[in-house]
Amino acid sequence: MKLPGKLLSKALLSSFLALLVAVYLGAAETASQAVKIKIDTILASNQSGEFDSRLKPLEKQLKVLKYKSYRLLKEESQNVASQGSGSFQIPGGRTLIVSPQDFRDQQIALKVRLQGSEKPLLDTTLKLQNKGNFILGGPPHEGGVLVLAIWATLQ
Amino acid sequence: MKSCDEIRKCLGAWVDGELGRDEADAVRSHVEACPACSEERRQLDKLNVSIKSVLAPQRPIAFEPFWRGVERRINEKNSWRDEWMDRLRGAFGRPNLAWSIPAVIGLALVLYSLRFWKEPTPRNNFAAVESIDAYGRNVALLRENETRTTVIWLYQNQEGDDETSGETSEQSPTF
Amino acid sequence: MELSDWELVQKCQLGEMGAFQELVSRYHQKVYIVVLGLLRNRDDAMEVAQETFFRAYRKIKSFEGGSSFYTWLYRIAVNIAIDTQRRQKRNLLDYRDNMDEVFEEQQEVAKDPFSDVHEKELREKLLSAINDLTPEHKAVIVLRTLEGLSYKDIGDILGCSEGTVMSRLHYARKKLQEKLRAYL
Repeated sequence: MKLPGKLLSKALLSSFLALLVAVYLGAAETASQAVKIKIDTILASNQSGEFDSRLKPLEKQLKVLKYKSYRLLKEESQNVASQGSGSFQIPGGRTLIVSPQDFRDQQIALKVRLQGSEKPLLDTTLKLQNKGNFILGGPPHEGGVLVLAIWATLQ
Repeated sequence: MKSCDEIRKCLGAWVDGELGRDEADAVRSHVEACPACSEERRQLDKLNVSIKSVLAPQRPIAFEPFWRGVERRINEKNSWRDEWMDRLRGAFGRPNLAWSIPAVIGLALVLYSLRFWKEPTPRNNFAAVESIDAYGRNVALLRENETRTTVIWLYQNQEGDDETSGETSEQSPTF
Repeated sequence: MELSDWELVQKCQLGEMGAFQELVSRYHQKVYIVVLGLLRNRDDAMEVAQETFFRAYRKIKSFEGGSSFYTWLYRIAVNIAIDTQRRQKRNLLDYRDNMDEVFEEQQEVAKDPFSDVHEKELREKLLSAINDLTPEHKAVIVLRTLEGLSYKDIGDILGCSEGTVMSRLHYARKKLQEKLRAYL
Protein backbone atom coordinates (compact mmCIF):
# COMPACT_ATOMS: atom_id res chain seq x y z
CA MET A 1 0.00 0.00 0.00
CA LYS A 2 1.30 3.47 -0.83
CA LEU A 3 -0.34 6.76 0.07
CA PRO A 4 -0.18 9.59 -2.45
CA GLY A 5 2.62 12.03 -1.57
CA LYS A 6 0.36 15.11 -1.15
CA LEU A 7 -2.07 13.31 1.12
CA LEU A 8 0.74 11.93 3.26
CA SER A 9 2.32 15.35 3.73
CA LYS A 10 -1.09 16.88 4.60
CA ALA A 11 -1.76 14.11 7.11
CA LEU A 12 1.64 14.61 8.70
CA LEU A 13 1.27 18.39 8.85
CA SER A 14 -2.18 18.28 10.45
CA SER A 15 -0.97 15.66 12.96
CA PHE A 16 1.98 17.88 13.86
CA LEU A 17 -0.30 20.92 14.34
CA ALA A 18 -2.67 18.92 16.54
CA LEU A 19 0.30 17.79 18.61
CA LEU A 20 1.49 21.40 19.04
CA VAL A 21 -1.97 22.43 20.26
CA ALA A 22 -2.05 19.51 22.69
CA VAL A 23 1.38 20.40 24.09
CA TYR A 24 0.37 24.09 24.48
CA LEU A 25 -2.83 23.20 26.31
CA GLY A 26 -0.94 20.78 28.50
CA ALA A 27 1.61 23.45 29.44
CA ALA A 28 -1.15 25.93 30.18
CA GLU A 29 -2.72 23.43 32.57
CA THR A 30 0.05 23.67 35.11
CA ALA A 31 0.74 27.39 34.86
CA SER A 32 -0.31 29.33 37.96
CA GLN A 33 -4.03 29.97 37.90
CA ALA A 34 -6.61 31.33 40.29
CA VAL A 35 -9.14 29.02 41.86
CA LYS A 36 -12.60 30.10 42.93
CA ILE A 37 -13.32 28.62 46.33
CA LYS A 38 -16.95 28.58 47.43
CA ILE A 39 -18.02 27.62 50.95
CA ASP A 40 -21.58 26.93 52.03
CA THR A 41 -21.78 26.99 55.83
CA ILE A 42 -24.71 24.83 56.92
CA LEU A 43 -26.19 24.02 60.31
CA ALA A 44 -27.31 20.40 60.55
CA SER A 45 -29.37 19.26 63.49
CA ASN A 46 -32.13 16.95 64.64
CA GLN A 47 -34.14 19.69 66.30
CA SER A 48 -36.64 20.07 63.51
CA GLY A 49 -37.39 18.52 60.15
CA GLU A 50 -36.85 21.58 57.99
CA PHE A 51 -34.74 21.55 54.87
CA ASP A 52 -33.58 24.97 53.68
CA SER A 53 -34.77 25.29 50.07
CA ARG A 54 -31.59 27.18 49.16
CA LEU A 55 -29.72 23.94 49.75
CA LYS A 56 -31.72 22.07 47.12
CA PRO A 57 -28.69 21.47 44.83
CA LEU A 58 -26.93 19.83 47.78
CA GLU A 59 -29.90 17.83 48.99
CA LYS A 60 -28.72 14.37 47.93
CA GLN A 61 -25.27 14.91 49.36
CA LEU A 62 -26.56 16.30 52.64
CA LYS A 63 -28.96 13.38 53.07
CA VAL A 64 -25.86 11.19 53.36
CA LEU A 65 -25.25 12.83 56.74
CA LYS A 66 -28.65 11.67 58.06
CA TYR A 67 -29.60 14.73 60.07
CA LYS A 68 -33.23 15.86 60.14
CA SER A 69 -32.77 19.53 59.34
CA TYR A 70 -30.32 21.61 57.35
CA ARG A 71 -30.13 25.42 57.33
CA LEU A 72 -27.85 27.53 55.20
CA LEU A 73 -26.06 29.99 57.49
CA LYS A 74 -23.71 31.59 55.00
CA GLU A 75 -22.48 31.37 51.44
CA GLU A 76 -19.11 32.86 50.49
CA SER A 77 -16.79 32.76 47.47
CA GLN A 78 -13.25 33.96 46.95
CA ASN A 79 -10.82 33.81 44.06
CA VAL A 80 -7.60 32.46 45.50
CA ALA A 81 -4.33 32.48 43.55
CA SER A 82 -2.42 29.23 43.21
CA GLN A 83 -0.01 28.89 46.14
CA GLY A 84 -1.94 31.69 47.89
CA SER A 85 -4.55 31.21 50.59
CA GLY A 86 -8.11 32.32 51.25
CA SER A 87 -9.63 32.71 54.74
CA PHE A 88 -13.29 32.13 55.45
CA GLN A 89 -14.90 33.00 58.79
CA ILE A 90 -16.84 30.08 60.24
CA PRO A 91 -19.31 30.41 63.13
CA GLY A 92 -17.97 29.71 66.61
CA GLY A 93 -14.78 31.74 66.24
CA ARG A 94 -13.38 29.33 63.64
CA THR A 95 -11.63 30.02 60.35
CA LEU A 96 -11.28 27.90 57.25
CA ILE A 97 -8.08 28.50 55.28
CA VAL A 98 -7.90 27.07 51.78
CA SER A 99 -4.70 27.06 49.72
CA PRO A 100 -4.77 25.81 46.13
CA GLN A 101 -1.49 24.12 45.28
CA ASP A 102 -1.62 23.15 41.65
CA PHE A 103 -3.85 21.88 38.89
CA ARG A 104 -3.07 18.71 37.00
CA ASP A 105 -5.15 16.11 35.13
CA GLN A 106 -8.36 18.06 35.83
CA GLN A 107 -7.71 17.90 39.57
CA ILE A 108 -7.10 20.81 41.91
CA ALA A 109 -4.74 20.08 44.78
CA LEU A 110 -5.82 21.89 47.95
CA LYS A 111 -4.48 22.34 51.44
CA VAL A 112 -7.28 23.02 53.88
CA ARG A 113 -7.01 24.03 57.52
CA LEU A 114 -9.88 24.42 59.95
CA GLN A 115 -8.60 26.75 62.63
CA GLY A 116 -10.19 27.15 66.06
CA SER A 117 -10.00 30.41 67.96
CA GLU A 118 -6.64 29.42 69.44
CA LYS A 119 -5.43 26.19 67.85
CA PRO A 120 -5.76 24.36 64.55
CA LEU A 121 -8.49 21.72 64.55
CA LEU A 122 -7.77 19.92 61.29
CA ASP A 123 -5.34 19.98 58.39
CA THR A 124 -5.97 18.05 55.23
CA THR A 125 -4.48 17.84 51.75
CA LEU A 126 -6.65 16.52 48.98
CA LYS A 127 -7.26 16.59 45.26
CA LEU A 128 -10.62 17.71 44.03
CA GLN A 129 -12.06 17.49 40.55
CA ASN A 130 -12.42 20.89 38.87
CA LYS A 131 -15.91 22.19 39.83
CA GLY A 132 -16.20 19.37 42.35
CA ASN A 133 -16.86 19.56 46.06
CA PHE A 134 -16.36 17.78 49.33
CA ILE A 135 -17.91 18.09 52.77
CA LEU A 136 -16.19 18.89 56.05
CA GLY A 137 -18.36 18.55 59.11
CA GLY A 138 -18.62 17.89 62.80
CA PRO A 139 -17.84 21.07 64.80
CA PRO A 140 -20.71 21.70 67.21
CA HIS A 141 -22.80 24.83 66.90
CA GLU A 142 -26.11 25.93 68.45
CA GLY A 143 -27.28 22.44 69.36
CA GLY A 144 -26.34 20.98 66.00
CA VAL A 145 -23.20 20.59 63.94
CA LEU A 146 -21.59 22.72 61.28
CA VAL A 147 -21.29 21.26 57.80
CA LEU A 148 -19.10 23.01 55.27
CA ALA A 149 -19.64 22.25 51.59
CA ILE A 150 -16.46 23.29 49.78
CA TRP A 151 -16.18 23.75 46.01
CA ALA A 152 -13.14 24.53 43.89
CA THR A 153 -13.37 25.83 40.32
CA LEU A 154 -10.44 26.77 38.13
CA GLN A 155 -10.69 30.32 36.79
CA MET B 1 20.59 -29.16 70.52
CA LYS B 2 19.30 -26.08 68.70
CA SER B 3 20.38 -22.56 69.57
CA CYS B 4 17.92 -19.77 70.32
CA ASP B 5 18.57 -18.23 66.89
CA GLU B 6 17.70 -21.49 65.15
CA ILE B 7 14.60 -21.95 67.30
CA ARG B 8 13.37 -18.41 66.58
CA LYS B 9 13.67 -19.00 62.83
CA CYS B 10 11.02 -21.69 63.04
CA LEU B 11 9.05 -20.30 65.96
CA GLY B 12 6.39 -18.90 63.63
CA ALA B 13 6.03 -22.20 61.77
CA TRP B 14 5.73 -24.02 65.13
CA VAL B 15 2.99 -21.64 66.35
CA ASP B 16 1.26 -22.13 62.98
CA GLY B 17 1.36 -25.91 63.44
CA GLU B 18 3.44 -26.44 60.34
CA LEU B 19 6.41 -28.34 61.74
CA GLY B 20 6.78 -32.12 61.66
CA ARG B 21 6.26 -33.92 64.98
CA ASP B 22 9.93 -34.34 65.92
CA GLU B 23 10.85 -30.78 65.08
CA ALA B 24 7.75 -29.46 66.87
CA ASP B 25 8.66 -31.42 70.01
CA ALA B 26 12.20 -30.05 69.95
CA VAL B 27 10.95 -26.46 69.63
CA ARG B 28 8.35 -26.90 72.35
CA SER B 29 10.92 -28.32 74.79
CA HIS B 30 13.27 -25.43 74.12
CA VAL B 31 10.59 -22.74 74.46
CA GLU B 32 9.37 -24.22 77.74
CA ALA B 33 12.90 -24.13 79.14
CA CYS B 34 14.10 -20.81 77.71
CA PRO B 35 12.61 -17.56 79.13
CA ALA B 36 13.86 -15.45 76.20
CA CYS B 37 12.30 -17.71 73.55
CA SER B 38 9.18 -18.02 75.66
CA GLU B 39 8.90 -14.24 75.64
CA GLU B 40 9.50 -14.23 71.90
CA ARG B 41 6.61 -16.66 71.50
CA ARG B 42 4.38 -14.42 73.60
CA GLN B 43 5.28 -11.41 71.43
CA LEU B 44 4.46 -13.42 68.33
CA ASP B 45 1.05 -14.37 69.71
CA LYS B 46 0.33 -10.72 70.51
CA LEU B 47 1.39 -9.70 67.03
CA ASN B 48 -0.90 -12.26 65.41
CA VAL B 49 -3.85 -11.13 67.51
CA SER B 50 -3.16 -7.48 66.71
CA ILE B 51 -2.84 -8.12 62.97
CA LYS B 52 -6.12 -10.01 62.95
CA SER B 53 -7.97 -7.29 64.83
CA VAL B 54 -6.58 -4.54 62.62
CA LEU B 55 -7.08 -6.19 59.25
CA ALA B 56 -10.41 -7.93 59.79
CA PRO B 57 -13.34 -5.83 58.51
CA GLN B 58 -15.77 -4.51 61.12
CA ARG B 59 -18.88 -5.90 59.49
CA PRO B 60 -19.72 -8.48 56.84
CA ILE B 61 -20.72 -7.33 53.36
CA ALA B 62 -24.21 -7.99 52.08
CA PHE B 63 -24.48 -10.66 49.42
CA GLU B 64 -27.20 -9.19 47.20
CA PRO B 65 -25.45 -5.96 46.18
CA PHE B 66 -22.20 -7.88 45.80
CA TRP B 67 -23.85 -10.41 43.50
CA ARG B 68 -25.48 -7.63 41.48
CA GLY B 69 -22.03 -6.14 40.92
CA VAL B 70 -20.67 -9.47 39.68
CA GLU B 71 -23.71 -10.05 37.47
CA ARG B 72 -23.40 -6.57 35.98
CA ARG B 73 -19.79 -7.25 35.03
CA ILE B 74 -20.72 -10.54 33.42
CA ASN B 75 -23.53 -8.96 31.40
CA GLU B 76 -21.61 -5.79 30.48
CA LYS B 77 -18.48 -7.56 29.38
CA ASN B 78 -20.47 -10.06 27.33
CA SER B 79 -22.33 -7.41 25.34
CA TRP B 80 -19.31 -5.09 24.98
CA ARG B 81 -17.14 -7.91 23.73
CA ASP B 82 -19.68 -9.24 21.25
CA GLU B 83 -20.27 -5.77 19.80
CA TRP B 84 -16.58 -5.10 19.30
CA MET B 85 -15.90 -8.52 17.82
CA ASP B 86 -18.60 -7.86 15.20
CA ARG B 87 -17.14 -4.46 14.42
CA LEU B 88 -13.61 -5.78 14.08
CA ARG B 89 -14.77 -8.50 11.73
CA GLY B 90 -16.45 -5.87 9.56
CA ALA B 91 -13.49 -3.48 9.60
CA PHE B 92 -10.92 -6.04 8.60
CA GLY B 93 -13.09 -7.20 5.76
CA ARG B 94 -13.06 -3.83 3.97
CA PRO B 95 -10.66 -3.13 1.12
CA ASN B 96 -10.08 0.50 2.09
CA LEU B 97 -8.32 -0.36 5.36
CA ALA B 98 -5.17 1.50 4.19
CA TRP B 99 -6.96 4.88 4.25
CA SER B 100 -8.15 4.38 7.79
CA ILE B 101 -4.58 4.43 9.22
CA PRO B 102 -3.92 8.17 8.88
CA ALA B 103 -7.51 8.82 9.98
CA VAL B 104 -6.94 6.78 13.15
CA ILE B 105 -3.67 8.61 13.89
CA GLY B 106 -5.38 11.98 13.46
CA LEU B 107 -8.32 10.95 15.61
CA ALA B 108 -6.02 9.69 18.38
CA LEU B 109 -4.19 13.02 18.46
CA VAL B 110 -7.44 14.99 18.61
CA LEU B 111 -8.72 12.82 21.45
CA TYR B 112 -5.44 13.26 23.30
CA SER B 113 -5.67 17.04 23.06
CA LEU B 114 -9.28 16.94 24.30
CA ARG B 115 -7.98 15.73 27.71
CA PHE B 116 -6.93 19.29 28.48
CA TRP B 117 -10.28 20.87 27.74
CA LYS B 118 -12.41 21.83 30.72
CA GLU B 119 -15.29 19.49 31.43
CA PRO B 120 -18.64 21.13 32.11
CA THR B 121 -19.26 19.00 35.23
CA PRO B 122 -16.90 16.58 36.91
CA ARG B 123 -17.64 12.95 36.06
CA ASN B 124 -16.15 11.77 39.30
CA ASN B 125 -16.81 14.03 42.28
CA PHE B 126 -14.77 11.95 44.70
CA ALA B 127 -11.97 13.89 46.36
CA ALA B 128 -8.67 12.07 46.75
CA VAL B 129 -7.73 12.77 50.36
CA GLU B 130 -3.98 12.45 50.75
CA SER B 131 -3.49 13.31 54.39
CA ILE B 132 -5.40 14.33 57.47
CA ASP B 133 -4.13 15.66 60.78
CA ALA B 134 -6.79 16.29 63.39
CA TYR B 135 -4.34 17.28 66.13
CA GLY B 136 -5.26 14.38 68.37
CA ARG B 137 -9.00 14.52 67.71
CA ASN B 138 -10.76 11.63 66.09
CA VAL B 139 -11.68 12.10 62.47
CA ALA B 140 -13.46 9.88 59.98
CA LEU B 141 -13.41 9.75 56.20
CA LEU B 142 -16.49 8.72 54.29
CA ARG B 143 -16.98 8.03 50.60
CA GLU B 144 -20.60 7.62 49.64
CA ASN B 145 -20.88 5.87 46.30
CA GLU B 146 -24.33 6.81 45.15
CA THR B 147 -23.84 10.57 45.35
CA ARG B 148 -20.04 10.32 44.97
CA THR B 149 -19.60 12.45 48.08
CA THR B 150 -16.43 12.65 50.15
CA VAL B 151 -17.00 13.62 53.76
CA ILE B 152 -14.38 14.50 56.35
CA TRP B 153 -16.02 14.28 59.77
CA LEU B 154 -14.35 15.76 62.82
CA TYR B 155 -15.59 14.06 65.97
CA GLN B 156 -16.33 15.96 69.09
CA ASN B 157 -14.01 14.93 71.90
CA GLN B 158 -15.22 12.87 74.85
CA GLU B 159 -16.76 15.78 76.70
CA GLY B 160 -18.77 16.64 73.61
CA ASP B 161 -17.30 20.11 73.30
CA ASP B 162 -14.98 21.87 70.94
CA GLU B 163 -12.38 23.12 73.39
CA THR B 164 -11.49 26.12 71.30
CA SER B 165 -14.97 27.50 70.92
CA GLY B 166 -16.55 26.52 74.23
CA GLU B 167 -19.62 25.20 72.46
CA THR B 168 -21.30 21.92 73.19
CA SER B 169 -23.65 19.93 71.09
CA GLU B 170 -26.36 18.42 73.22
CA GLN B 171 -27.60 16.02 70.64
CA SER B 172 -25.86 12.96 69.33
CA PRO B 173 -26.38 12.07 65.70
CA THR B 174 -29.28 9.80 64.93
CA PHE B 175 -29.95 7.61 61.94
CA MET C 1 -28.05 -32.14 50.63
CA GLU C 2 -25.50 -29.40 50.04
CA LEU C 3 -23.47 -29.79 46.88
CA SER C 4 -19.67 -29.76 47.11
CA ASP C 5 -17.66 -27.00 45.47
CA TRP C 6 -16.54 -29.36 42.74
CA GLU C 7 -20.13 -30.39 41.98
CA LEU C 8 -21.12 -26.74 41.73
CA VAL C 9 -18.16 -26.04 39.44
CA GLN C 10 -19.24 -28.85 37.15
CA LYS C 11 -22.72 -27.37 36.96
CA CYS C 12 -21.20 -23.95 36.19
CA GLN C 13 -19.19 -25.51 33.40
CA LEU C 14 -22.48 -26.68 31.92
CA GLY C 15 -23.78 -23.12 32.04
CA GLU C 16 -25.85 -23.13 35.22
CA MET C 17 -25.73 -19.58 36.56
CA GLY C 18 -27.49 -20.64 39.77
CA ALA C 19 -24.54 -22.87 40.64
CA PHE C 20 -22.13 -19.99 40.12
CA GLN C 21 -24.28 -17.75 42.29
CA GLU C 22 -24.08 -20.37 45.04
CA LEU C 23 -20.28 -20.39 44.79
CA VAL C 24 -20.23 -16.61 45.03
CA SER C 25 -22.49 -16.79 48.05
CA ARG C 26 -20.11 -19.22 49.76
CA TYR C 27 -16.91 -17.32 49.13
CA HIS C 28 -17.66 -13.64 48.61
CA GLN C 29 -17.02 -12.81 52.26
CA LYS C 30 -13.71 -14.67 52.40
CA VAL C 31 -12.45 -13.16 49.15
CA TYR C 32 -13.45 -9.68 50.30
CA ILE C 33 -11.66 -10.13 53.64
CA VAL C 34 -8.43 -11.23 51.96
CA VAL C 35 -8.54 -8.46 49.38
CA LEU C 36 -9.38 -5.82 51.99
CA GLY C 37 -6.45 -7.05 54.05
CA LEU C 38 -4.19 -6.44 51.06
CA LEU C 39 -5.61 -3.17 49.74
CA ARG C 40 -6.94 -1.45 52.91
CA ASN C 41 -9.48 0.47 50.89
CA ARG C 42 -13.10 -0.71 50.82
CA ASP C 43 -13.99 0.59 47.39
CA ASP C 44 -10.94 -1.03 45.85
CA ALA C 45 -11.54 -4.24 47.80
CA MET C 46 -15.12 -4.41 46.57
CA GLU C 47 -14.02 -3.80 42.97
CA VAL C 48 -11.29 -6.40 43.15
CA ALA C 49 -13.50 -8.96 44.91
CA GLN C 50 -16.20 -8.61 42.25
CA GLU C 51 -13.59 -8.71 39.48
CA THR C 52 -12.25 -11.92 41.03
CA PHE C 53 -15.58 -13.68 40.63
CA PHE C 54 -16.06 -12.25 37.16
CA ARG C 55 -12.70 -13.67 36.06
CA ALA C 56 -13.47 -16.96 37.79
CA TYR C 57 -16.72 -17.10 35.81
CA ARG C 58 -14.88 -16.55 32.55
CA LYS C 59 -12.22 -19.16 33.37
CA ILE C 60 -14.46 -21.71 35.06
CA LYS C 61 -14.34 -24.09 32.10
CA SER C 62 -10.58 -24.32 32.42
CA PHE C 63 -10.71 -25.31 36.11
CA GLU C 64 -9.98 -29.01 36.28
CA GLY C 65 -10.11 -29.60 40.01
CA GLY C 66 -6.35 -30.04 40.44
CA SER C 67 -6.44 -27.70 43.43
CA SER C 68 -9.38 -26.90 45.66
CA PHE C 69 -11.79 -24.34 44.28
CA TYR C 70 -11.08 -21.83 47.03
CA THR C 71 -7.30 -21.88 46.50
CA TRP C 72 -7.91 -21.37 42.78
CA LEU C 73 -10.24 -18.49 43.62
CA TYR C 74 -7.85 -16.94 46.14
CA ARG C 75 -5.08 -17.18 43.55
CA ILE C 76 -7.12 -15.04 41.18
CA ALA C 77 -8.01 -12.59 43.98
CA VAL C 78 -4.45 -12.22 45.26
CA ASN C 79 -3.03 -11.74 41.76
CA ILE C 80 -5.51 -8.97 40.98
CA ALA C 81 -4.92 -7.36 44.37
CA ILE C 82 -1.13 -7.47 44.00
CA ASP C 83 -1.41 -5.97 40.49
CA THR C 84 -3.69 -3.28 41.87
CA GLN C 85 -1.25 -2.46 44.65
CA ARG C 86 1.62 -2.20 42.21
CA ARG C 87 -0.37 0.18 40.01
CA GLN C 88 -1.58 2.39 42.78
CA LYS C 89 0.01 4.33 45.56
CA ARG C 90 -2.43 4.37 48.40
CA ASN C 91 -2.07 5.98 51.73
CA LEU C 92 -3.53 4.41 54.80
CA LEU C 93 -6.68 6.49 54.99
CA ASP C 94 -9.49 4.05 55.59
CA TYR C 95 -12.80 5.20 54.17
CA ARG C 96 -16.15 4.45 55.76
CA ASP C 97 -19.13 3.54 53.57
CA ASN C 98 -21.86 5.47 55.30
CA MET C 99 -22.48 7.88 58.13
CA ASP C 100 -23.86 5.11 60.36
CA GLU C 101 -20.33 3.75 60.68
CA VAL C 102 -18.97 7.24 61.32
CA PHE C 103 -21.48 7.91 64.10
CA GLU C 104 -21.13 4.45 65.63
CA GLU C 105 -17.41 4.94 65.85
CA GLN C 106 -18.03 8.24 67.62
CA GLN C 107 -20.01 6.36 70.29
CA GLU C 108 -17.23 3.79 70.72
CA VAL C 109 -14.52 6.39 70.88
CA ALA C 110 -16.35 8.27 73.63
CA LYS C 111 -16.38 5.27 76.00
CA ASP C 112 -12.78 4.86 77.20
CA PRO C 113 -10.34 7.47 76.00
CA PHE C 114 -7.15 6.02 77.48
CA SER C 115 -7.29 2.54 76.04
CA ASP C 116 -8.59 3.98 72.82
CA VAL C 117 -5.61 6.32 72.45
CA HIS C 118 -3.12 3.48 72.87
CA GLU C 119 -5.11 1.14 70.67
CA LYS C 120 -5.49 3.85 68.06
CA GLU C 121 -1.72 4.40 68.00
CA LEU C 122 -1.05 0.67 67.79
CA ARG C 123 -3.57 0.32 65.01
CA GLU C 124 -2.04 3.17 63.04
CA LYS C 125 1.52 1.94 63.54
CA LEU C 126 0.55 -1.60 62.62
CA LEU C 127 -1.32 -0.55 59.51
CA SER C 128 1.63 1.59 58.48
CA ALA C 129 4.07 -1.26 59.09
CA ILE C 130 1.90 -3.73 57.15
CA ASN C 131 1.59 -1.26 54.32
CA ASP C 132 5.37 -0.95 54.15
CA LEU C 133 5.69 -4.67 53.38
CA THR C 134 6.05 -5.74 49.78
CA PRO C 135 2.83 -7.10 48.20
CA GLU C 136 4.20 -10.66 48.43
CA HIS C 137 4.99 -10.35 52.14
CA LYS C 138 1.67 -8.70 52.84
CA ALA C 139 -0.09 -11.53 51.02
CA VAL C 140 1.41 -14.26 53.24
CA ILE C 141 0.54 -12.31 56.38
CA VAL C 142 -3.07 -11.84 55.26
CA LEU C 143 -3.59 -15.41 54.07
CA ARG C 144 -2.09 -16.94 57.21
CA THR C 145 -3.32 -14.56 59.90
CA LEU C 146 -6.78 -13.68 58.57
CA GLU C 147 -7.67 -16.89 56.80
CA GLY C 148 -5.58 -19.42 58.73
CA LEU C 149 -4.55 -21.16 55.52
CA SER C 150 -1.85 -23.82 55.61
CA TYR C 151 1.58 -23.11 54.17
CA LYS C 152 0.79 -25.60 51.40
CA ASP C 153 -2.40 -23.75 50.42
CA ILE C 154 -0.65 -20.39 50.62
CA GLY C 155 2.13 -21.77 48.40
CA ASP C 156 -0.48 -23.03 45.89
CA ILE C 157 -2.14 -19.62 45.84
CA LEU C 158 1.06 -17.64 45.46
CA GLY C 159 2.81 -20.11 43.21
CA CYS C 160 5.75 -20.75 45.55
CA SER C 161 7.06 -23.51 47.80
CA GLU C 162 6.11 -24.05 51.45
CA GLY C 163 9.68 -23.15 52.38
CA THR C 164 9.29 -19.79 50.65
CA VAL C 165 6.02 -19.19 52.48
CA MET C 166 7.72 -19.96 55.78
CA SER C 167 10.64 -17.65 55.15
CA ARG C 168 8.38 -14.81 53.89
CA LEU C 169 6.22 -15.11 56.99
CA HIS C 170 9.26 -15.13 59.24
CA TYR C 171 10.66 -12.04 57.52
CA ALA C 172 7.33 -10.17 57.53
CA ARG C 173 6.65 -10.91 61.21
CA LYS C 174 10.18 -9.88 62.14
CA LYS C 175 9.75 -6.58 60.30
CA LEU C 176 6.43 -5.90 62.00
CA GLN C 177 7.80 -6.77 65.45
CA GLU C 178 10.75 -4.43 64.97
CA LYS C 179 8.42 -1.55 64.17
CA LEU C 180 5.98 -2.31 66.96
CA ARG C 181 8.30 -3.28 69.83
CA ALA C 182 7.17 -0.36 71.95
CA TYR C 183 3.47 -1.12 71.50
CA LEU C 184 3.27 -4.92 71.88
